Amino acid sequence: MIDYKKKLAPLSLQTKSIFSGHPIAIAGLIGFVMFVLIALLAPWIAPQNPYDLMVLDIMDGLLPPLSKLGNGTTSWLGTDAVGRDILSAVMYGLRLSLFVAFIATTVGSLIGVFLGLLAAVKGGWVESVIMRAVDLKVSFPGILLALMMLAIFGTGVDKIIYALIIGVWASKARLTRSSALSEMQKEYIDAAKISAIPNWRIMLKFLLPNSIAPVLVMIPMSLSGCIGAEATLSFLGVGVPITEPSLGLLIANGNDYLLSGKWWISIFPGVVLVSLVLCINVVADRIREHNNPFLKSMNMQ
Amino acid sequence: MNNTPLLKINNLTVTYPLNSEGSDVLKALDNTSLKVNSGQIIGIVGESGAGKSTIGKAILGLLDPPAKLVSGEIRFLGNSLVGLSEAQFESLRGNQIGYIYQNPMTALNPVLTIGEQVIEAILANTTMTGKEAYNYAIQLLERADVSFAKDRLQKYPHQLSGGLCQRIVFAIAIAAKPKLIVADEPTTALDVTVQSSVLQTLIKLSQEEGIAIILITHDIGVVSETCDYVYVLRNGKHIEQGETVQVLEKPMQEYTRSLMASVPLIEKRLHRFALPNEGKIEGISSHLGYLQEERKEDFSSNKTILKVTNISKTFYTPSTLFKPKDAFQAVKNVSFSVNRGETVGIVGESGSGKSTIGRMILGLEDITEGNVIYKGKDINSIINSEDRLAHYLSIQCIFQDPYSSLNPRMTAGENITYGLKIHKLIDSKNAKSLAQDLMVLVGLQRQDADKLPQSFSGGERQRIGIARALGYRPDFIFCDEPTSALDVSVQANLLNLLKDLQEQFSLTLLFVSHDLAVIRQMCDRVIVMKDGEALENGSNENIFEQPKHAYTRSLLDAMPKFQGLAQY
Amino acid sequence: MIKYILKRLWHSGILAIVMSLIVFFGLYVVGDPVEMLSDDEFTEQDKIELAIELGLDKPLYEQYFTYTGGMLQGDFGTSFVYNRPVLDLIMERLPATLEISLLAMIIGLGIGIPLGIFSGIKNNSRASKIISFFTTVGYSTPNFWQAIILIMVFAVFLQWLPASGRGLTNSMFGIEWAWLSLNGLQHMALPAINLAIYKICMQQRLAKSGTQEILYQEYMTFARAKGITRNRIIRRHLLRNILIPIVTITGLEVGGLIAFSTVTETIFSWPGIGKLLLDSIHMIDRPVVVAYLILITLMFVFINFVVDVMYAFLDPRIRHQK
Repeated sequence: MIDYKKKLAPLSLQTKSIFSGHPIAIAGLIGFVMFVLIALLAPWIAPQNPYDLMVLDIMDGLLPPLSKLGNGTTSWLGTDAVGRDILSAVMYGLRLSLFVAFIATTVGSLIGVFLGLLAAVKGGWVESVIMRAVDLKVSFPGILLALMMLAIFGTGVDKIIYALIIGVWASKARLTRSSALSEMQKEYIDAAKISAIPNWRIMLKFLLPNSIAPVLVMIPMSLSGCIGAEATLSFLGVGVPITEPSLGLLIANGNDYLLSGKWWISIFPGVVLVSLVLCINVVADRIREHNNPFLKSMNMQ
Repeated sequence: MNNTPLLKINNLTVTYPLNSEGSDVLKALDNTSLKVNSGQIIGIVGESGAGKSTIGKAILGLLDPPAKLVSGEIRFLGNSLVGLSEAQFESLRGNQIGYIYQNPMTALNPVLTIGEQVIEAILANTTMTGKEAYNYAIQLLERADVSFAKDRLQKYPHQLSGGLCQRIVFAIAIAAKPKLIVADEPTTALDVTVQSSVLQTLIKLSQEEGIAIILITHDIGVVSETCDYVYVLRNGKHIEQGETVQVLEKPMQEYTRSLMASVPLIEKRLHRFALPNEGKIEGISSHLGYLQEERKEDFSSNKTILKVTNISKTFYTPSTLFKPKDAFQAVKNVSFSVNRGETVGIVGESGSGKSTIGRMILGLEDITEGNVIYKGKDINSIINSEDRLAHYLSIQCIFQDPYSSLNPRMTAGENITYGLKIHKLIDSKNAKSLAQDLMVLVGLQRQDADKLPQSFSGGERQRIGIARALGYRPDFIFCDEPTSALDVSVQANLLNLLKDLQEQFSLTLLFVSHDLAVIRQMCDRVIVMKDGEALENGSNENIFEQPKHAYTRSLLDAMPKFQGLAQY
Repeated sequence: MIKYILKRLWHSGILAIVMSLIVFFGLYVVGDPVEMLSDDEFTEQDKIELAIELGLDKPLYEQYFTYTGGMLQGDFGTSFVYNRPVLDLIMERLPATLEISLLAMIIGLGIGIPLGIFSGIKNNSRASKIISFFTTVGYSTPNFWQAIILIMVFAVFLQWLPASGRGLTNSMFGIEWAWLSLNGLQHMALPAINLAIYKICMQQRLAKSGTQEILYQEYMTFARAKGITRNRIIRRHLLRNILIPIVTITGLEVGGLIAFSTVTETIFSWPGIGKLLLDSIHMIDRPVVVAYLILITLMFVFINFVVDVMYAFLDPRIRHQK
């Protein structure tokens, strides 16, 4: 009765229909925007620069939340062993975690979309090579692959971004290829071909905008996946360097103090990490549900 | 016939919410009533969106949320079916009322064998034991004209043809000897040649058991051949009802009359479909000159515009380690020619190779063997890129599927003029007004050129496709089943439009269809194809009135006969 | 069917060879084991001798063939750090990883799939919404964070379960297992639960979307129209079809479990191969890392193969493919 082929509203309307009547998804979206704002504004709103070793005072070390620091300010969330303000560290950590995940997701998706389109359009050995590489990647758990990469190339912000990109591209390439292949079966592509429209124009103006939707739907999932993976790797000590702690590394630092009752060092970054990923995932779920007609209110009473 | 009808529906209204709050609803059924007596075959006809399927689902309690039965009553043998629990419906379904789906391939579970699915239905609705059910299943399949019944029970649905699967669905439906069967478009998904025999099996079975049938269909021909009584539905409202002959040939209502006038006839060729209230297309002025501009080549000396000689097409699947190279010959040694200004039809069932021929002419497929000469030039030997472009642009195509033939991310206007701008046939300044003119020319609104394809109906999208083709000023248009996805009234309008445009722009058409009646109405000459071969090639009158080939005759015999509106 | 299996086998073989190449050459590119094994007192001559002893002077491809040749005979080289055969090191720790992974798998499937099917069928019910919300929270929480919370709650505050180590082990078939004693089981509990939470959430989500996709199919409505009871439709039509995606995912998830056991084992000091890998990465014990990755690859290849074959058994459409 409802014609799903017709569903292709402009973005603003889509956003409205995705979120209206779904309070959890709206909360997730608001939360996510808030986290992004904090991350962007961290250098201006954080009480101190946690990367600047000059401002840290070892005398302020391991203070519980709401303590007064040596310089007279209040540390709302307490301090860690080297006297770093946890609130500031969390803000900067959030900034780093989001930065790494954004770059990895964007670059990984771009590479994936490009390779997927190439495979679909070129076919032949190009397609075989790309798709075998995708199979190889997909049959191997991402976290292991990243560990392996980091074991080979060493650690660092750039290295972890590479490792995450390796994790992101393959599924995007596979999705883009299959959706481009099904678009290529459609008659509007034939219509363009018989009108002698050059191949590169067909690819950019016809194929790309129509086959990218499934990839866009998956992007929030990739983003939260990258945030989680980066945190895990940093927690294991093979991620970001100790001088620029991300949320995962902050948790690892605090982990040693947990048993001695100094809970604030890892609990706060942990809560932020979980909330961030959760916010993205509820939005991601809602977007996926919205784009999947199967999930539309089917109920067997 | 006794006095309590088998099934009686009174003022039934069913709605679907159009937004999440449910404030805006679509009335799939709007105050509809109908009555079925036992043993009777009644037809429900209507175009898409008429609410035909909703009636069937409502009777069996299969309306799933968000669909909502708002008001009205359904009485089966006098007992109300509205508000029954799922358990009560379970004892009714299969047992008292059977159901037949449009597409047997999706109605049967792909991971269960035929036997499992037939026996399951028998066990659920009878008191038989397993062994008895097995024997009964064989018997049922045989009665539904399924050969090798015993072997077929071991098979999975994907191993059998659509026609066989539908016969198996029939066997399931009659297993418990229900009093009523709701058949929702039971032959639409099948090939033309098997449609009539499958339908006859259904009629035979129901008559043997005295089962009444509600036949839901869009096919007027099927109704005219099988139904005793018919209801006409439109947008959920029931428009007209009566004895089949009465309703189909002397309808009282305007809508029914125009519906019947839209049905393409097989018996006689009309100049146009005699549609009442056909929208008049206004003239255009500004770009008419551009569209009618004479092509440079003069080929008045040669009437033939296209000559196809012994073309063949073989598809290869590349060899792998486990499989040798596989070849499938889609077109075998076909020759024909098309004269300027005429319409040549190619008719055949799916897989007959008719579309492949068009794709070769359009350059979308390589030609394996033979040659295609268009305007005196062999299309394989055009190397000069300018000639190639000119050649490309003067052959255009109207595609089959209105939902996939337009780029969904471009407006109607952009779809029409994108290629024209690329090839500098029009500058961007004038592109918009040309697109608007073309929209008008095909009977759409000027201002709708700015809308995206999604805001148009199927018929309107086909018109945009025609406008796109016209923009290139083609001489030759390949029409690849342009109306097969459309409702019959939309089809009639579109075919009338095509005839008008052909006249106005002296177009030559190659028209491919599986529908003999459409070919009958549209084409001057007809080629009949089967399994890649051209079996027969002759004038419209010869093919339809004195078919020579046995296959052509069997195709014509399989067509349901509908005489059309009585002359009044 | 046999053709299909042969084809899968062929793909698996190629996959295994390519992966072993990548792992071997990938790890060869960086780090010089000679530098790592030698200390300041080593002369250039000592270093060259060491290189010869380790076979590092030969061309790369020869080293690869020597290595894979040895591998086929069960020789994965010797750990630089432990100075013991790598295979022994891995085999010693494998049972520990297997027992928590299996336990996690059983918990994950046993809880996740029924929950998923339930919430798929009763999509709009309150219970389904609550379940789905919790699983979203569950899979949004990184594994290591769950581990920390589990330790805080069950080991530190409640002091019900031990937070680290494997506890008492008993021998069975000549292998030491923890699950044979209560103490061992207690030690297994937290790491296994840690691994299982993610599994439960994943399985619930997959089973839910699988269920809904199948409920939407016409053959489900037709089964109802045939007059078959709801329970029977679920048992027969739904479960038979839903098994197909679940088997695929479960197979792939075995790999995921082994991969995530690196994190879990590290936090809970569980002496399995995951912890061995991480320790070896930190200590740049190359033979162990290479051997681990190659073995894991072989295992994945094998699992993928089994999944493909299972797939064919469950889906007649694939079984009859030519």
